[in-house]
This record gives sequence, structure tokens and C-alpha cells, in this order.
Amino acid sequence: MKICIACGMPMKAKEDFAMGDESKDYCKYCARPDGTMQNYDEKLEGMTEFIVKTQGIDQEAARNAARGMMEKLPAWQN
Amino acid sequence: MAVSQRQKQKAETKKFLIECAMEQFANKGLTATRTADIASAAEVSHGTIFLHFPTRERLLEEVIEEFGSRTAKRMHELIDGDCTLEEVLAAHLKGIGECEGFYAALISETAVLPEGARNALIMIQSAISHHILQVAEREMDAGTIKTMPFDLLFNTWIGLIHYYLSNRALFAPEDSVISRHGQRLTDHYMNLISEKGGF
Repeated sequence: MKICIACGMPMKAKEDFAMGDESKDYCKYCARPDGTMQNYDEKLEGMTEFIVKTQGIDQEAARNAARGMMEKLPAWQN
Repeated sequence: MAVSQRQKQKAETKKFLIECAMEQFANKGLTATRTADIASAAEVSHGTIFLHFPTRERLLEEVIEEFGSRTAKRMHELIDGDCTLEEVLAAHLKGIGECEGFYAALISETAVLPEGARNALIMIQSAISHHILQVAEREMDAGTIKTMPFDLLFNTWIGLIHYYLSNRALFAPEDSVISRHGQRLTDHYMNLISEKGGF
């Protein structure tokens, strides 16, 4: 199973991929409306907001965790 | 060719060390387990551990990440677009149940773990909450579960499960908390959040 290079989510079904395109290495949640991959700042912001919304964690603590996770993903190695 | 064979072997050894470490962490705790214990369980020299992991901290993070990716994959396999919240919760418990000892140690020691390890746990919960959110939003819209802030919906579930897991010795001595209490806890939780109450 392919893993999204930008957020680490496993991509099982066609609709998990950006624009439903299984040749893409990133998922629908990491794509912009035009299908291109979000940049680092957009992804960091999105991931932080998601953690705050779903786990109720403090904004800065959530951003810190998101930053820590992104450091390990292939898309953000440079 | 020789290089690729060597790389393959190296990856297999690393995988094996992660497996041994997970078992040691489950048995002795994440803080108390020494790298020497892991080396001894894997029957390798102490130095071999550090050929694969630069630090103990990094080893611990990789074990947590391995647990996380197993749980995430398990949830992806078990649930589909139109499953119920109860089915998602069952898939969550199944994923935990497969490495229950390790997960119980992880959540019991979270506060004293290095930052990288704590962040890795937040990311695991993020993947779980993603699945729960998708279904819960649909069920809230349909009126089958109560409308409530999503973080509280998620944390109430996690709080319940974690309380039982971190007190395994009381709730299921020498046994699995998930197999002994999982169904009952799921029923209770569904009953709490269900719009109609009781079922």
C-alpha cells in the first residue's frame, strides 16, 4: 500500500489519492484544489488545525507535534 | 548485487530489532528497558543496536512509529466508506489489541518520554481521530449520535480506553483488557453518545 509522502497516510482506495490519481505520491488531503501538492507552510498549518480540532491540544503544542512529524516524511526532507 | 543483498539483510535485521524492542518495552516498560536488554533478547551484540539506531531515543521513536503504521493500516483494511462509528471503534480496538502490552506501556509512560516519542503518539491519535471524525460527522448529521465538540467526542473514547489499559493489572490480570472489556466499553460509549440513548 502506498503511503502519502506529505502526511504519512496509507492510501488504499483510488479516492484516497490526490485527484483520484493513483500515480500520485500524495493524498487528497495534501492536495490543493488544483491537484498540486500543498507547500510546507500550508501542510503545517492544516495539520496543526486538525490536531487542535480532533484532540483539543493547545495550538503551539499541536504545531510542535506536526512539525516533528513532518520532519520524518519524505516530502519535507530538504 | 552483493550490496543490495547486504542492504536487504540490514533492513531485515532492523525490522527484527524493532520487533524485539517492542516486546521488551511491553514487558519491562519503555523507560526501564535498556538497550542491552533488547540486544540480549535479539541475541546480538550491544553495539549492533547502534549500527541500526543512532540513539536509544531514535530506537524508541521507530518502535512507536511501527506500532502507529500497523494500527493505521489495520484501520484502513477494516473500515470502508460506509461503516458505522461502532465498526470504526472496533477496528481501533483490534489494532491496539494486536500490540496491547506495548500500547499500554506507551500511554502509561507518555509524560516522561522524550519529545519525539510524545509527538509520535500524537500523530498516531491523529490518524485514528481522522477515521473517527469522518464517520462521526456523518452520524451527527444523520442524528444518530449527539452533536458535541469533536475533541470531546474523541477524548472521551480515548480516556475510557486508556484508563482500562493503563490499569491492566486491575482490570484484566494476566489477560487482554481489549478482549475482556473491549465490547462492553464500546457498548457503553455508544450508549453515552447515541442520540436515542440505550440500545
